[in-house]
Amino acid sequence: MRAVFRLLVARLFVSLLVLAGVSVLIFAIARVIPGDPARIALGPNATHEQVAALRGQLRLDESIWSQYAWFVNDLSRGELGQSLYTNRPVVKDIAQFLPATLELVIVAGILMICAGLPLGMLAAKYRGGVIDNVVRLLSLLGVSAPSFVWAVILMLLFAFYLPLFPIAGRIDTAFEVPGVTGFLLVDSLLDGQVAAFADALRHIALPALALALSGIGQAARLTRANMVETYDRPYVEMARSYGFPEWRIARSYAFKPSLIPSLTIIGLDFAAMLGNAFLVEAIFAWPGLSRYGVAVILRKDLNAIVGTVLIISAAFLIANLIVDLLIALINPRIRHSRDAS
Amino acid sequence: MKRVIHIVMSRPLSILGVGLIALVLFSALFADLIAPFPEHRGTVVDFSNFNQPPGWPNIMGTDLVGRDLFSRIIYAYRLSLILGAVVLALATPVGVAVGLAAGYLGGWARFLLMRTTDVFLSIPPLVLAMSIMGVLEPTLINGMIAVTAMWWPWYARLVYNITLAEREEGYVLAAEVIGASRTHIMFREILPNCFPAILTKMTLDLGFVILIASSLSFLGLGVQPPTPDLGSMVAEGARYLPDSWWLTVFPGLAILVAVFGFNLLGDTLRDILGSGQ
Amino acid sequence: MRPVAKNLIAAAAMSAMAIAATAESVLRLDEVAVGELDPAKASDYADSILMFNVYDTLVIPRQGGPGHVPHLAASWEGSGNEYLFELRTDVSFQSGNPVTAEDVVFSLDRMQTLGLGLSFLFTNVESAEAVDSHTVRFTLAEPYAPFVASLVRLPIVDKDLVMQNLGEGEGDMGDWGQAYLSANGGGSGAYMVKSHNPQEETVMVRNPGYFLGIGEKAPDTVRLRYGLEAATVRTLIAQGEHDISSQWLPPEVKRALAEDGNQLLTEGGTGSFYFKMNTAKAPLDDVHCRLALANAFDYGSVLKLIAITDAVSEGSAATGAVTAGMFGARPAGTMLERDAGVARAHLAECSHDPSEFSVEISWIAEVPLEERLALLLQANLSEIGVNSTIKKIPWAAFAGMVDSAETTPDVSQIFVTAVTGDPDTLLYGMYHSSKAGTWQSPEHLNDAEVDALLEAGRVGASDAAREEAYSALNDRLLAIAPSIYGFDRQSVFVARPGIRVPALSDPAQAFGLDTMGFSFRLMEIE
Repeated sequence: MRAVFRLLVARLFVSLLVLAGVSVLIFAIARVIPGDPARIALGPNATHEQVAALRGQLRLDESIWSQYAWFVNDLSRGELGQSLYTNRPVVKDIAQFLPATLELVIVAGILMICAGLPLGMLAAKYRGGVIDNVVRLLSLLGVSAPSFVWAVILMLLFAFYLPLFPIAGRIDTAFEVPGVTGFLLVDSLLDGQVAAFADALRHIALPALALALSGIGQAARLTRANMVETYDRPYVEMARSYGFPEWRIARSYAFKPSLIPSLTIIGLDFAAMLGNAFLVEAIFAWPGLSRYGVAVILRKDLNAIVGTVLIISAAFLIANLIVDLLIALINPRIRHSRDAS
Repeated sequence: MKRVIHIVMSRPLSILGVGLIALVLFSALFADLIAPFPEHRGTVVDFSNFNQPPGWPNIMGTDLVGRDLFSRIIYAYRLSLILGAVVLALATPVGVAVGLAAGYLGGWARFLLMRTTDVFLSIPPLVLAMSIMGVLEPTLINGMIAVTAMWWPWYARLVYNITLAEREEGYVLAAEVIGASRTHIMFREILPNCFPAILTKMTLDLGFVILIASSLSFLGLGVQPPTPDLGSMVAEGARYLPDSWWLTVFPGLAILVAVFGFNLLGDTLRDILGSGQ
Repeated sequence: MRPVAKNLIAAAAMSAMAIAATAESVLRLDEVAVGELDPAKASDYADSILMFNVYDTLVIPRQGGPGHVPHLAASWEGSGNEYLFELRTDVSFQSGNPVTAEDVVFSLDRMQTLGLGLSFLFTNVESAEAVDSHTVRFTLAEPYAPFVASLVRLPIVDKDLVMQNLGEGEGDMGDWGQAYLSANGGGSGAYMVKSHNPQEETVMVRNPGYFLGIGEKAPDTVRLRYGLEAATVRTLIAQGEHDISSQWLPPEVKRALAEDGNQLLTEGGTGSFYFKMNTAKAPLDDVHCRLALANAFDYGSVLKLIAITDAVSEGSAATGAVTAGMFGARPAGTMLERDAGVARAHLAECSHDPSEFSVEISWIAEVPLEERLALLLQANLSEIGVNSTIKKIPWAAFAGMVDSAETTPDVSQIFVTAVTGDPDTLLYGMYHSSKAGTWQSPEHLNDAEVDALLEAGRVGASDAAREEAYSALNDRLLAIAPSIYGFDRQSVFVARPGIRVPALSDPAQAFGLDTMGFSFRLMEIE
């Protein structure tokens, strides 16, 4: 356990270092955006004096180093500045939109694991057979279209032609769910509103599936590949020769070791889904961070761009940290020797 | 060679992959001959025939200014392939150089190079490309730059891992003993051993670059009209669902076909070259 | 009390609540991505919907005809530089505070100090003073005929409420209540803000104490949602889960919904669509080149493009430089028409050789219709032998490019609306040389005669004098063609059959002011 703790501290340190790097990178990108953010924020009717005043207020006339110093200073107090687009603190905007995106990504992640791993195991068990080839085909198809194409296809099929699912939004406006965690699926249950929970679930089903499809394919393929490899190992042969039941071999000998690479990929896919959520949210009018993100990029809203990217990157790093810890817990060998990079 | 043919022929999906890619390449190369209305790739208006469902002569229907969708999709393929090839041609050498240097030199070089790589890898790919496109004007060239910026770290990672392993191999140690220069060892000894993995990854990635580029233009941050582009076609058409479904479904399927083909091909290649990456 | 009786009472109370809950009428509509609630920052359609329902103004436009009627004001008098307004004494804000002269003075101060939104309308107002608790005197720096009309854009804010909720800022007034008013209502309007989330939804409920009263059938609750996709709105309306669409739906989608039996609501007469030509840069600095373009444009095809049904269109044929219905507009029959022969003749007289230049036609990325208009103009121009290229420009970039004539595109496409309904707020900002180089005026026009006529129009002592000035201006603008006057614009909304909006369907009840038709108190839900 101590080793795991030490690993956690080391990884946390590296993550913070990387996050600092991300902040420098994205800060630099945001500051060289052409067009005057003050002019854009104030609108076409503003006078030159007003623009100059806002530039002063935003410290846009100072050097980029001084601007970065102010940014770090604000950040240390948990502030990300004011959004010029919504006229609200960026932290407040993100706090409002992030839960919807996270909820979507987490549900998609669960879908990915619950569908991807069993499919991969099935394919490995019957490798070379029909099931294996079908899984291979499906998983390749899954990763072969951007999630917005899946979103359009799913929406056309299951919201328009077969109106089984709602077309947009997170929940019907008739429900009023008190915000505790920001995750409607959790909040509705906390409040004891089963109908609201069911409605939220119906709303999230299609966008989450569209987002998860490519991940499901990858998880299935990876699980299959690793299980096939471990099936061929001597100790599995030995277990088989001892007459262990096949399901037990699959679970104890083939599945557990093959979980490790699958977990790694899940960590990476989580990152991809955080980004791809932008595409799915646009189609399903999901009130997450995406519409905000695209809008602030188009409007050169510096503080909001930096804040959004920083938060998404932090979520990504945390997810990978969790994955690393899980792997360390499963596999004692990695616990000791895993290279930090 | 016999083995190659055997692997390809023994798997119907591999044949499908080769076929799809041949189809995509062929239509991109001979777009001028195949497209029924080559002039529709540019600014043509025909308001007497706009927003028409699939039929004859417009087998995939017409767009909102009356242009033939099928012709535009074929020209969009050409653009996607050029974009994918250029991005990989730029990203691969950069990533390979960084990975080799970090893996072989070690020490501070490794720390600096791999931590920088980590920074790029820590921003979800699409978000990074979006931020860069926010800075630059949305043109084809800038789109390539943005996608390249998010792509090279993957090659750096890949080559770094291989180099770490190869560094300890006998042939490298032997070269060191006879006093070969570091550049020689990196590029002449280690690099050739990375080729199979790089080649497989490039084939797979060609599909994914097309996918990411179309995502960027879907968000309005990629290639601009009137240049035909699959991602922006889907984005624009999505406003007209479900009535004018052909505006989104055909370009969407076109992306699927191309990327699927490259994935099948990459998959086959992986089996042939036997690299476990 | 015996338990049984107690239970009975509880049950009765519950069923009463259930009835109330089912009887509550909800109106659901949508608008662009962000709604600004602070009335001093209101500029676009979404902001204005909020402003006109949460706040009141001193006057409002007369329904079905020209002129204005008292609203918060009981009466007014004055002309030239000075106006005296008598307020009603029976009006309270939603907070319960009475509406007084102090509030009017405060509202103007706040608007002028913040300098955002449409505050430019009031730069000419030198001072406002409270003569007594219900009398306000406005003093103008120079005479301004449409002053009373501009007051439809001065929402009256609850001073006491704002003073209690000042946020951080420099000086005594802090942030002038910006933080508070961007999240809460502070007016006397017919609807109160229940919740406001600028990128998701604003929920408003009836103000039971509204001074004019609110009709029985007007909605109890209004849900204004932001940034819905066209495909979403289309389906929600088809499923009966949405009541009125925004005007931003593509015409094809509106057509499909109309064919399904939904009604089309319209609001027009206050603005037009223009191709604006850069008069300060070759080749369009030559009037003959501009006239060649103006005569080459196919005014008929554009009407087909914006038609929704045989009866309803997003615009009508332009009659000249001044939008139909305004002072100085030409009679209804005199439509602009394409004439390729005239266009070629002008081109021959142009000092620039058409084989040596190419015209850059820009379109605003946020308005997809403009791409099609650009393609149409390009096709028209190639018929008379003028080459052109098309360029898509995001709005934010466009607003920066027009600062200088050098970076302004040759041709820009703009929809302009008179924000007060008066032609001065439409034409002065577009064509006066002192206003050149804004998003409204990418022509960079500098014409002494146009300037003189615009000034005559805004100080005109009588309607007849103003009519004469704007009529002459119309002729002059047609002669020098700084713009191609594309079509007179009309906003079209799709509404479910059960909704009645007389101000948007009956010309006799139309306000002649953009957005005023969305006064929820005048709507009816079956």
